Amino acid sequence: MSEKATAVSIRISSIIALLILWHFAAIAMADAEILPTPISIAYAMVGVLVEPGPEGKSAYFHVGVTLGRTFMTFGVAMVLGIAIGLAMGLRKVIEHSVMALIPLALTMPTILMVFLAVMWFGFSEIGSLVAVVGVVTPYVAVNIFQGAQAMDKSLIDMAITFRASRKMLIRKVYIPQLLPYIFSAFRFAFGMTWKIVALAETFGIKYGIGYMFFFWFEQFNMELVLAWIIMFVILMLILEHAVFARLEHAAFKWRPANQLQT
Amino acid sequence: MPIDQDNGHGNVVVSVNNLTKKFPNPMTGKEFVVLDSISLDVEKGNFASIVGPSGCGKSTLLNIIAGIETHDASDGGTLDVYSHSDDAQPRVGYVFQNARLLNWLTVEDNMTFALESQEIPKDLWKERVDKYLEMVGLEGQQKNYPLNLSGGMQQRVAIARALAIEPDILLMDEPFSHLDEITARKMRFDLMEILMHANPTILFITHDLGEAVFLADHIYMMSTKPARIFKHIEVDVPRPRQPEDPEIFDLEKKLVKEFFSVLDAQAIEDG
Repeated sequence: MSEKATAVSIRISSIIALLILWHFAAIAMADAEILPTPISIAYAMVGVLVEPGPEGKSAYFHVGVTLGRTFMTFGVAMVLGIAIGLAMGLRKVIEHSVMALIPLALTMPTILMVFLAVMWFGFSEIGSLVAVVGVVTPYVAVNIFQGAQAMDKSLIDMAITFRASRKMLIRKVYIPQLLPYIFSAFRFAFGMTWKIVALAETFGIKYGIGYMFFFWFEQFNMELVLAWIIMFVILMLILEHAVFARLEHAAFKWRPANQLQT
Repeated sequence: MPIDQDNGHGNVVVSVNNLTKKFPNPMTGKEFVVLDSISLDVEKGNFASIVGPSGCGKSTLLNIIAGIETHDASDGGTLDVYSHSDDAQPRVGYVFQNARLLNWLTVEDNMTFALESQEIPKDLWKERVDKYLEMVGLEGQQKNYPLNLSGGMQQRVAIARALAIEPDILLMDEPFSHLDEITARKMRFDLMEILMHANPTILFITHDLGEAVFLADHIYMMSTKPARIFKHIEVDVPRPRQPEDPEIFDLEKKLVKEFFSVLDAQAIEDG
């Protein structure tokens, strides 16, 4: 067996072991309201996926709402973060004034930022947007700023001696050097964004996956709370691995390590 | 930089006259002289080499010619690069100590980056890339990425990139100094081979007198602090040359001796 196949089979066994442990724990506890068995959760998940839920809204509707919110707020937070980070790299005044504020934003507990945002802007799309921007943008800005600082000046000089146009400089010299920083910000920011969106929905923004957590929590239906949580985690794992990892791989195929894998 | 198409300057490509460069010392605020009234002419098809100790300001001179650094026009010094083609602007190719390739672009795209920057028509690109890659011994590497190549091969790509724009002047700043001696020696032979095919005009900087004597037909010896050219020698040995050729070897020995006498005299002067 290849090294990679061994690693994969160990990982799968680990998950199976957790499920078995859980199963026996649930049987020993014999209280489905506290800890349902994984099998009953699997049934609950199928139910959620095929039957219309409360208020006649299907699971796909809620997933769509959460994804829409996540992508929208994530897009705004990334664009703002990149713009601020670049501005910091270009102007000392901006660097120092923003650097004075960023520790405040980074120290603030995420949950408090979500509280504040919904208190100021209500249980609305604006509320979730402000919460995401408040938490994610400072992180992205710092990361991009570091990328701007790490830019290799000797390559810029090389491009200037060949008289590269401004457009070529940006497209072929600046952006490729920033790309690793953009990607690492991208992944981290995406992970933070969907957690914040789910949290804001749990607090009371209408519809979405987080809204369903809270709905079934109020009914004290442990089976459905867990079913939704597991579906949510699986969905985000698929997005991160299938979509972002592939994008990243394509963007960095010039790295020798990436060529070996293909 | 003045533009001269009809070549009213004879065969001169680069003309440096009394060029001075001062840097302010950030600690004391006092200016110190990096280049002190440097004068030299490089003619079309010549291989001129500036030899001097490390840190004597040689690279600063190349950077000024390449336009990355400025010089003090107030001191009356002038610097001109003349175009010898139909192009209004002279083309300057630069090979640095490090290859300075864009690692995210293929070998071919690194070369077309220079071609596009120089606004060379797109239909010429493929022909230029293939021709100069073959000339540096890297045929078939078009689609490869720089990080898959050895240091010597990366530097060959950098040379091909600079040659591909068919520059009026090719600036080379100790291009082999970061390579191991065996690779560097092979590269020097191959560069000489290239000279015999493409006949570019080259201004080559090195701290290695042997390298200069082996490659160049004009040698400018530079002292340090401030950098002055104290001697200009013509090397009249036909190519291809051999480093073991007694004529080359004797000249190198003679120049080394001269170099040390000048540097020693300077050391005594400095007290």
